[in-house]
Amino acid sequence: MKSSTYFLLAVAFCLLLAVPASYANETVLIEDDLGRSINIGSPSERVVFTMENALKTYYAVGDPDNVVALKDDKWMRRLMEDVFPVVDPNFEDKILINITGDQLGLESLAKVDPDLVVLWASSPDDPNILAINDTLKVPVFAIYVTSLDDVYRQVDTMGIISGNTDRASEVKEIMEGYVELTTNVTDQIQESDRPGVFWMWTDIYGTAGVDSGINDLIDMAGGNNVMKLAEEEAQNLEHPVINQETLIKLNPDVIYMWYNEDLDPEDIINGEDFQGLRDINAVKNRRVYEISNPYLFDAFSPRMPLALLHVARDLHHDKFQDVDMNQTIDQYNVDIWGVHYPSMVKA
Amino acid sequence: MPSQTEKMGMARERITGRSLLYYLFLSLPLFAFFSSIFIGPFHINPVQLVDLMASKILGYATDYPDVYSTVIFQVRLPRLLLGMMVGASLSVSGAAFQGIFRNPLVSPYILGLSSGAAFGAALSLAFLPGVSIQYAAFFFSLLAVALTYFMATTNRSTPIVSLVLAGVIVSAVFDSLLAIIQIAVSERALQSIVFWIMGSLGTASWSKIYSAFPLFALGCTVMLLLRWRLNVLALGDEEARSVGLNPEKYKIIFIVSASLAASSAVAVAGIIGLVGLVVPHMLRMIFGPDHRTLIPLSLTFGASFLIVVDDFARAGLGFEVPVGVITTLVGAPLFAYLLRTTRSGGWE
Repeated sequence: MKSSTYFLLAVAFCLLLAVPASYANETVLIEDDLGRSINIGSPSERVVFTMENALKTYYAVGDPDNVVALKDDKWMRRLMEDVFPVVDPNFEDKILINITGDQLGLESLAKVDPDLVVLWASSPDDPNILAINDTLKVPVFAIYVTSLDDVYRQVDTMGIISGNTDRASEVKEIMEGYVELTTNVTDQIQESDRPGVFWMWTDIYGTAGVDSGINDLIDMAGGNNVMKLAEEEAQNLEHPVINQETLIKLNPDVIYMWYNEDLDPEDIINGEDFQGLRDINAVKNRRVYEISNPYLFDAFSPRMPLALLHVARDLHHDKFQDVDMNQTIDQYNVDIWGVHYPSMVKA
Repeated sequence: MPSQTEKMGMARERITGRSLLYYLFLSLPLFAFFSSIFIGPFHINPVQLVDLMASKILGYATDYPDVYSTVIFQVRLPRLLLGMMVGASLSVSGAAFQGIFRNPLVSPYILGLSSGAAFGAALSLAFLPGVSIQYAAFFFSLLAVALTYFMATTNRSTPIVSLVLAGVIVSAVFDSLLAIIQIAVSERALQSIVFWIMGSLGTASWSKIYSAFPLFALGCTVMLLLRWRLNVLALGDEEARSVGLNPEKYKIIFIVSASLAASSAVAVAGIIGLVGLVVPHMLRMIFGPDHRTLIPLSLTFGASFLIVVDDFARAGLGFEVPVGVITTLVGAPLFAYLLRTTRSGGWE
């Protein structure tokens, strides 16, 4: 064989080695929100998402084609998936993983042959994590968001999972920029001008403890979580449930309701079952507000800056009266997902 | 050896002591109420509190902050009254059911009442937001009892064993239906269902009292007026017939009355465990099995027991603990102590 032939064969061999190397998944070791170390492909190419807010983060940074299946979740589906079909043209065709109670259907998961499952879990011994690891041998990334810092960390994580860390950094910068729109104003507010806020989860007297993401949100929005004044054993819980009398004692200036299908602020102000609250400042001054759309103003998703602005505007209306909320919402959705809101037209 | 006169004297002393104890237990709700009204997370000076209450009754004006009046009359008072009503309902119903069934393990929930109520509440919370939880729970609790009764009745006779078994079956069916709802609902609705099932007086209001009181009063009054017949029913159907009592008729009357009282309690407070089982037992251990004393004492002691336990639920910690959890934690050791210090749990 001529030396030129050897040379050509050598070049072809090198190319054979080189081409796959440039496209191959890099395996990386990452830590999930529960501190578990897992090996994943970066980018992971067959990812199953079982929670909407993590998917929202992923769609802001990653290739939607790498999402192969989603959890079959029916609650307020249209609201929940608002931008998804625009970001991902194949969204409606995604396979849905059935769920019984909290248990994901292992057979339907096996059918989609995922290389990563992203799910919500509060413990490494979560039954879904154990079942998927034991049976399907698929890495599971556990999401457990308890603070606003976790939201930023989720953006970084989705950057690694999608192999698109540059876009993740960009998204974080956008988010931080929008957060500053609010905090540049609220940071100037004196302690004495910060209203006491009672955060009302859907169980009414269930609220946000001092060590919670909502507490951070209230602080950043220029308020003070009234649970800071509660008994120590209550304030240190993440989700303490207090009673009417304790709420009267705390006497918040503002009651901020998480989205509640059964109650409106007017029910708290004038409802027969809430007569006991009539002497607290928030009710006397009709300062009871509600998060009207739990997905547009979700503090534990990339839309956290919008939730922050929403709360800050209600707490300090005079300081944000120049902010056009609709325009901000639209621009934010364009910046993060490239979709106009609420028209859902691709930007 | 004591003489006959000495023996009679000792017996008289015992009777006098027991009578005193009886009247003490009958008056317990007053003590419990007037101590509990001073307890709460919102501190009000006891003198001011008494003055405010007196001003309300006697109609004179005071210059205390409005919030004092709101805390006492809109928050604490309805909660105490609702707690007394619920405790009394569950205890009297428990005592009546234990008498009818001649079984110490029976609680007001034996005929599927709690399972039916839980299903009704879950249905309302998950799928029927327009339907009040209270009414849904009440309707399904009574439906469960009715199903149990009709399932157990054959040839115009309702044997106790059939009733217990039918109650188990109906409870199982409603528990399964509840499980289906819990699987199908969102996490938020599931959380509400779980809280409701744990039982709490945290949402007490005057409207709840007004809606539950008529059925509570009706059920308890019937059981109080007919209480001596429970002594006959407790002997068995044959013995009841031999003294001219129609056992089927009175079984229905007591089951309907006890179910109405217990359903009205469960509908407003959720499923509060152990009160209906433990309170009648405690009283039986102290006063014996005679329903003529047991039913009125169940009413007063049940009412007192629940509000005292609820004092801890609402003011013991900085956060609200479901009262059903504490009734079990408090009731179980108290019950165990009495069980170990009395013979046959007071049934002999």
